[in-house]
Amino acid sequence: MNQRKFSIIGTDKVRKEAPAKARGEAIYTDDIKLPRMLIGKIKHSDCAHARIISIDTSEAEKLPGVKAVLVGSEAPNKYGIVPQAPTETALAIGKVRFHGEPVAAVAAVDEATADRALDLIKIEYELLPVYIDPHAAMAKDAVPLHEDNKYGNIAYMAKQDFGDVDKALAESHRVLEKTFKTSYVNHVFMEPHSCVARFDDNGDLMMWSSTQVPHYLHTMASQVLDMPMSKIQVTVPTVGGGFGGKGEASNNELVAALLSRKSLRPVKVTYSRKEVFFQHRGRHPIEMKIRMGVDREGYLTAIDYDGIMDGGAYGAWGIIILFYTAAMLHLPYKITNVRFNAKRIYTNKPTCGPMRGLGGVQPRFALESMMDDLAIMLGMSPYELKLKNAIDGKHDTVSGVHVRHSEYKKCLTEVVNRSGYLEKHQKLPFGRGVGLAGGYYISGTAYTLYMSYKPHSSALIRLDTESGVTLQCGATDIGQGSNMVLAMMCAEKLGLPYESVHVISGDTKNAPFDLGSFASRVTVAAGAAVCEAADKLLAQLLPVAAVHIGCRADQLLAGNGEIYSKFEKELRMPFWDAVEKYIDAFGPLTATGSYTPPRRTGEFKGGNVGHSPTYGFTAHVAEVEVDTETGEVKVVGYNEAGDCGQPINPLSVEGQVEGSIVMAMGQALYEEIRLAPDGRIINPNLHDYKVPTMRDIPHIKTYAVDSYDPDSPFGAKEAGEGPIQPTIPAILNAVYDAIGVRFTELPLTPEKVLQALEEKKRQEGLS
Amino acid sequence: MHGEPFGYEKPASLREFESLFAERGEDAKILAGGTDLFVLIKERLLAPRLLIDISDLPELRGISYDPGEGLTIMAGTKVAEIERSALVREHAPALAFAAANLGSNQVRWMATMAGNVCHASPAAETPPVLLAHGCELVIGTPGGERTLPISEFFLAYRKTALQAGEYLKAFRLPPLPARSAVAYQLRGLRRAMEIDMLNMGIYLELAADGVTVSDIRLAMGSVGPVTYRARGTEQRLKGMRLGEEFMAAAGAGVAEEATPIDDMRASAAYRNRVIGVLARRGLEQCLEQIGKGRGEA
Amino acid sequence: MKKLLTLEINGERFDVAVSPATFLVDVIRETVGLTGTKKGCGIGDCGACTVLIDGRPTLSCLTLAVACTGKSITTIEGLSRGTELHPVQQAFIDKGAIQCGYCTPGMILSSTALLAENPSPSEEEIKHGLAGNLCRCTGYVKIIEAVKHAAETMAKEAK
Repeated sequence: MNQRKFSIIGTDKVRKEAPAKARGEAIYTDDIKLPRMLIGKIKHSDCAHARIISIDTSEAEKLPGVKAVLVGSEAPNKYGIVPQAPTETALAIGKVRFHGEPVAAVAAVDEATADRALDLIKIEYELLPVYIDPHAAMAKDAVPLHEDNKYGNIAYMAKQDFGDVDKALAESHRVLEKTFKTSYVNHVFMEPHSCVARFDDNGDLMMWSSTQVPHYLHTMASQVLDMPMSKIQVTVPTVGGGFGGKGEASNNELVAALLSRKSLRPVKVTYSRKEVFFQHRGRHPIEMKIRMGVDREGYLTAIDYDGIMDGGAYGAWGIIILFYTAAMLHLPYKITNVRFNAKRIYTNKPTCGPMRGLGGVQPRFALESMMDDLAIMLGMSPYELKLKNAIDGKHDTVSGVHVRHSEYKKCLTEVVNRSGYLEKHQKLPFGRGVGLAGGYYISGTAYTLYMSYKPHSSALIRLDTESGVTLQCGATDIGQGSNMVLAMMCAEKLGLPYESVHVISGDTKNAPFDLGSFASRVTVAAGAAVCEAADKLLAQLLPVAAVHIGCRADQLLAGNGEIYSKFEKELRMPFWDAVEKYIDAFGPLTATGSYTPPRRTGEFKGGNVGHSPTYGFTAHVAEVEVDTETGEVKVVGYNEAGDCGQPINPLSVEGQVEGSIVMAMGQALYEEIRLAPDGRIINPNLHDYKVPTMRDIPHIKTYAVDSYDPDSPFGAKEAGEGPIQPTIPAILNAVYDAIGVRFTELPLTPEKVLQALEEKKRQEGLS
Repeated sequence: MHGEPFGYEKPASLREFESLFAERGEDAKILAGGTDLFVLIKERLLAPRLLIDISDLPELRGISYDPGEGLTIMAGTKVAEIERSALVREHAPALAFAAANLGSNQVRWMATMAGNVCHASPAAETPPVLLAHGCELVIGTPGGERTLPISEFFLAYRKTALQAGEYLKAFRLPPLPARSAVAYQLRGLRRAMEIDMLNMGIYLELAADGVTVSDIRLAMGSVGPVTYRARGTEQRLKGMRLGEEFMAAAGAGVAEEATPIDDMRASAAYRNRVIGVLARRGLEQCLEQIGKGRGEA
Repeated sequence: MKKLLTLEINGERFDVAVSPATFLVDVIRETVGLTGTKKGCGIGDCGACTVLIDGRPTLSCLTLAVACTGKSITTIEGLSRGTELHPVQQAFIDKGAIQCGYCTPGMILSSTALLAENPSPSEEEIKHGLAGNLCRCTGYVKIIEAVKHAAETMAKEAK
């Protein structure tokens, strides 16, 4: 294996921003207060599907303290993360498509005045039929949510067909067919969206926003405000979590900018928790009908997938996620016959979008559940079946995806050994069980969301004797710790202390281009850009040091704050002396680096989706206890073994994995946005939308298997989205082991468990 | 998010409070902890003109025990104080347990049991235990006070027997007789921060023979518009001997008397199925405690 | 009608004019300018706005500012001992208990109140005491470790 002796990589460095966060001194967007700043508030629709007959803002405009009132027709340009098919406007125009949709907005001197002004805005609606169920929305006579959409309420459709699925299923030893349904869940990052926008007298717009994607906000603000990108700057203060929910422009950002332009004063728009549920972009509920076959030995023969995705009111990331669910079928098991057929449907509810592990979580739930069933049908341990089918170190899928590095088998074996799975599976008393599931995720995408050939990430490092090391990179720290990761990589390369690297990130003007924090792309993509920049710096600096030291530059290394010969210990000089000599002789010492992922594609629709430079893998074993009288499921133990390549910061990797597991546990057992038949959210708050509390978590043990991807920066791969993939099926497989019932609908409430147990008892009584 | 503006008064003594409340009671709300009240105000479900803050009135704080009268908990006592009180843990451990399972630690340091009771939500945590204890409420009236068994306090969904100008002043839990115990059972989705989908307070008293049920109270929450006792079942169970038949009758009885509805937290069918389980488990807990008490004596 | 009040926050006195319907969190953040206290849900479900009032963890989004006269309020900014971090703050930093940091001020204040009452809590007691502070990043594992670690540090300091 490669040289893996590091002084900084692989250590539990403390995040530089942690003390400020612990002191309450980190500045989040809502903490910003500018001179003359107004408070912006949004008026939301109180019906789920209706034509807007009229909007009367005259009373609101007259209210003292109100400085601007805005309606949709003032900003008619549509926007969307996929620029070919924009569907949204900053405020509704002509029609509302979900309860809670932004319709008008005000900017006032304070919140109370803004609230009063909202009450004075009168909107007249003509009600239309409300569809909260995708099947109802697809009915022949259904009123289309979007009149310009080609196929009624079918937003997107896709078919992919690899190998010969029908033949493979016909020849299979066993074929299983099941339908699974996932639920309507939200990210529940703790910080509600917030944006401060300020126009200056030159017509330049500055936006401070809690976004994961300053670049995409930049492009969308430019579209909606109809102004060149060069006149807009987006900067990202401390962000209180995103998980995908801040992965495209949100209405508050565009509204803040529009209100600021109208009032020529800075405007802040911060969402309430209820508005976060309106903005949503949570995971798509999918109804998946799947057929899966195996041969006599337990090798998978084919997957036939039929999915209906409930998309909510707008397009958003929908088409991308649709194709991700297709791509996700092909790994982490060897499978050569795969058919995918799916639709994404417009419904009258807040829009679904990207959420941690997008595209993977729903099919993973179904596939890992079915593989357990098939193993048990064959009288085989699910571990044996999964290990048999698991991909090896390198793999090419039938869809053309290339996996350059995998330790997935190691993950399966480690987690099984560490959890005692084989000793427990099918051997625990009734009501107690263990479940195994595996998963994987991309480490960034091979393609941008719009057609472009530019590098996905770039970095600029400046060394100077006054400011030290300044690392500028557009990547955005949303709480996951990317600033720390990039600083650690930079410090390792330059042989300087981690603490000496100053990172400037998350800014479209002060840092070079980066696509944003999504798809677990930052460590690999921005990391590679940083490494390239650092290598280029050394290539400039070492020859200067070589002259001074008196040896060949290619024999010099940087480490411990020095530049030294790898052969003779006494040939050395302090790093900063070399920098000074370089600057004296040549002027400023800077270098840039960039990263463009290897391009691969498939010759089929959606063939660009799913390709990634490299992939992370993970396997989980959950242990549950089911109260057979009340139906309650309690996760009592949890083990994970993951392949994230070389962990850059092991403590932070553990944090990503533990956070993923608990988030998915919430989705498995409690979380669900509930809608009334009229489309109103019944539980847009955190007492009835239930995320796990500290009291709900089991004892969690995570383990990073020995792994190193030689083509990645410092051998690293993703760790923040793979680990959310297997949790739901691991828990549900454990429930099956505990009580012998296969559940296919989320969340697994006590109610469903009890009902199933009674049904089982009845069936057994009959037989 | 913000409701209508309101006034605020903080009387310095109970007398001052009583005269203010008598004068302004009609458009005023009593502010004890605010954890329920402000949620309703912020969601614009309630728009009082005046809040009268009683949270620091010393006359309304405190927990005491008298062997004859039992446990007295003043209305302004914080739930966290009840959770931690040695007196409550000794004389009403099920109440300490219910208090510990109400909301979060923050909520428990803010909220009072009086607020929990006067809010009159059928899902409230403490009413089932108080009903099981046969608690008596001391109600402050204009110029005096009256007492009322808690079983007569909840009239309808979020409606109590408090008349205009009246307020809840104290809880009295009579001393538990020999061979008796109280238990509390609850079910929510999560293990904390829950609004219960089902809860129950159970009181069991055995005759001197140690096997005959001499008295029993089964108080159910979240199975009707108010927290209430399964009185028919209680009657049928009195005089029965302990054993499987008794347990089965208790479980079946409460299920029959429960009148739950479907709501966001659970279906009526689920509540009907599980309420009997809670009764059994609560009774088993009571028996265990009675057994323990005997062992020690 | 606004009322003039004096609030004692982190040992300092602040004279503020607020309407009776103003919640403490808004006075702390907007009027006094201590933005370490966070708003996550507005109705007492997430714990991000937790402050200590007379040492007790309190939801400042459900507390009227006007009701806090004569009480001692501690926000996250008042926890460190001068320039030195409080052991709970230090433990959160060292144990990786801070990711996005938005729940952190409330979580640290709740932990401090817990340890003041119970200097060596069991894991169950930590979970019981902190269940009202939601965190979506960490899965809570590192936070529990941090509280245990802080308890040990504080016990050593007390000796």
